[in-house]
Amino acid sequence: MVLDLDACIESLFQRQLLAESVIKEICEKTKELLMTESNVVHIKAPVTVVGDIHGQFYDLLEIFKIGGYCPDTNYLFLGDYVDRGLYSVETISILTCLKLRYPERVQLVRGNHESRAVTSTYGFYTECMKKYGTSDVWHYFTDLFDYLTLSVVIDNMIFCVHGGLSPSIHTIDQIKVIDRFKEIPHEGPMADLVWSDPDPGREEFAVSPRGAGYTFGSMVVEKFLHENRMDHILRAHQLCMEGFQVLFDDQLSTVWSAPNYCYRCGNLASILEIGVEGERHFNVFEAAPENERPTPAEAQRALFSNGVPAGLFSNGGSNGAGVGGGGPNGSNGAMTFAGGANGSNGGIDATQDAIHYFL
Amino acid sequence: MSDGINHHREGLTTSHHDWTMLQVGKLVENQPIVIIDANSSVEDASEVLLKQGVSSAPIYDSGRKMFVGMFDYSDLMTYILLVLKKMEVPLDDQTMEMRDLIQKTNRSQNVPVKLVSDLSGNDPFCTVLAETKLGGVVNDFGSGIHRVAVMDSQGNMTGVLTQSLTLDYLMRHLSEFPQLQPVMQKGLQQLGLTNIKVLSVTGETQVLEALITMSTHGVSSLAVVNDQGALLGNISMADVQHIMKDLRTSWLWLSCFQFVSKVRLTRGVETGEDQYPVLDVNAKSTFGYTLSKLQATKVHRLWVINDTNHVVGVVSLTDVFKVLGGYIDS
Repeated sequence: MVLDLDACIESLFQRQLLAESVIKEICEKTKELLMTESNVVHIKAPVTVVGDIHGQFYDLLEIFKIGGYCPDTNYLFLGDYVDRGLYSVETISILTCLKLRYPERVQLVRGNHESRAVTSTYGFYTECMKKYGTSDVWHYFTDLFDYLTLSVVIDNMIFCVHGGLSPSIHTIDQIKVIDRFKEIPHEGPMADLVWSDPDPGREEFAVSPRGAGYTFGSMVVEKFLHENRMDHILRAHQLCMEGFQVLFDDQLSTVWSAPNYCYRCGNLASILEIGVEGERHFNVFEAAPENERPTPAEAQRALFSNGVPAGLFSNGGSNGAGVGGGGPNGSNGAMTFAGGANGSNGGIDATQDAIHYFL
Repeated sequence: MSDGINHHREGLTTSHHDWTMLQVGKLVENQPIVIIDANSSVEDASEVLLKQGVSSAPIYDSGRKMFVGMFDYSDLMTYILLVLKKMEVPLDDQTMEMRDLIQKTNRSQNVPVKLVSDLSGNDPFCTVLAETKLGGVVNDFGSGIHRVAVMDSQGNMTGVLTQSLTLDYLMRHLSEFPQLQPVMQKGLQQLGLTNIKVLSVTGETQVLEALITMSTHGVSSLAVVNDQGALLGNISMADVQHIMKDLRTSWLWLSCFQFVSKVRLTRGVETGEDQYPVLDVNAKSTFGYTLSKLQATKVHRLWVINDTNHVVGVVSLTDVFKVLGGYIDS
């Protein structure tokens, strides 16, 4: 199969799902790429860091609008791409394509939701079944998740991970020797890196209320940074009403990128822009305007009956049926979608229990 | 959030107490008292438990000026099963209150919670004086009493001492009780907490069936396993609160898998943090680690699993106090 990644990406920006066979191919190729990555990937600034997205595809589009599109902007995603939101499939599909298309410009770190155990009951599995009719797509992506790296270091100064620190890990080298190519275990250093949380009220480690990982305090943070000669820890994993949170005297930040989480929390979100000199700026944003989202009913109609979006294997020229103009480089920023955007009533009812949509 | 005091550093309370000598009144000091009016409806009473974040509350009859019992999720579950006629209680075993309750539900009348008080037959209303030593209460906790009402000498209730509260207190003040250190180091296997047959249901089982199973066997939770027998999650009587909330009785007919999913999704949004799908502990863990996890996650039991994620045992709060009680005499 000859893969036209640009066409795939363009389809996804218009929220057309990729065919199952295409997803299989993309996952295979991306696994080959990720296999060569260390558990600790070293990159240089400038880079824009993104926290939890949780299937909120329209907010991901918002992130590209305000942060810039690939490959013009370098991106580091800290995990939790799927579950809870309505468009986990579209979200992980586009991020996988972008990684494959621009491997040096896009980094994908594994979050605690990139796991079979978690996605089985937090929404992604159900969404795959609904949108594709079988669990194959869920299998392709969850197999891919086993290959995602565990951490990134920016300019040898900023340690980036999804959750936090582990009592079993004192140095970066200890992370490098972990065998990460498997489902996230219940316990141990790999589980800790994706499940742990900082606790500003403590100095040491304690068992986490989440049932996996640990909470860690100020002395743990200082010791880790000192030992590894770095000056900041950057992570995601916890909802921040203001979109971000800075702790321990600016030694640790949390970045959260899913605004109005689950379409009801009313929180802000942010992306962290790290400049060439290491300057850090939290770019805060709200949920994408309601009238650009289709209703769940429209979302269903956007799925073509044979599951294959038209125009996918063309030379990237023609668009699929019913899709308007406004490509991904959106100078006008506005996009039309397969279901057609409505006016004020076209948005998802924020008070509707989004979860019932799946079950 | 912690109280800000680092218990490892403070030099103030390093006097070594015998934990069994703690007066129970001290553990419930400053506890906000949650009381349910005997004439409120079962639905309103459930709302109280939910809002206050407790799993039980004493019922007070202002007419008779006395406490008539406790209301907890176990009672609520029994009530639901009776209402749905999923439970048959032989006439001889029916108390007057039960007969009254059944009559009222048959006539679709609002049921006052006093008729549901202690309905499950588990956990009868127990009182202790505030001066009672913890060592005395621990044996009750180890035999399945989940809570005791603490009274002062005038007969006023000063608080409710639960198994959870006691565990939390002991763990917070662990440095003051060096005599607990040896048991903390012991492995779960040594303590006989692995290799126990546990009751489980598959993900496909209906929630209502699961509740009936719990009720029939007198257990407060079941492991939910997949078709390979590996642990997927947990369904417990306390989950009944989600059914009462907004009277989502349709949830009773979901499969356990779907139900567990819904509960998880709701909880994570409220706290902004998702929990690990299953709350378990490896069979090779120490007792101390298990207690830390019970305290941190605030659950009433942890499934014990082996390296292939199969359930080989369970450590409930009752088991914890059974173990601790065993150490008092030695």
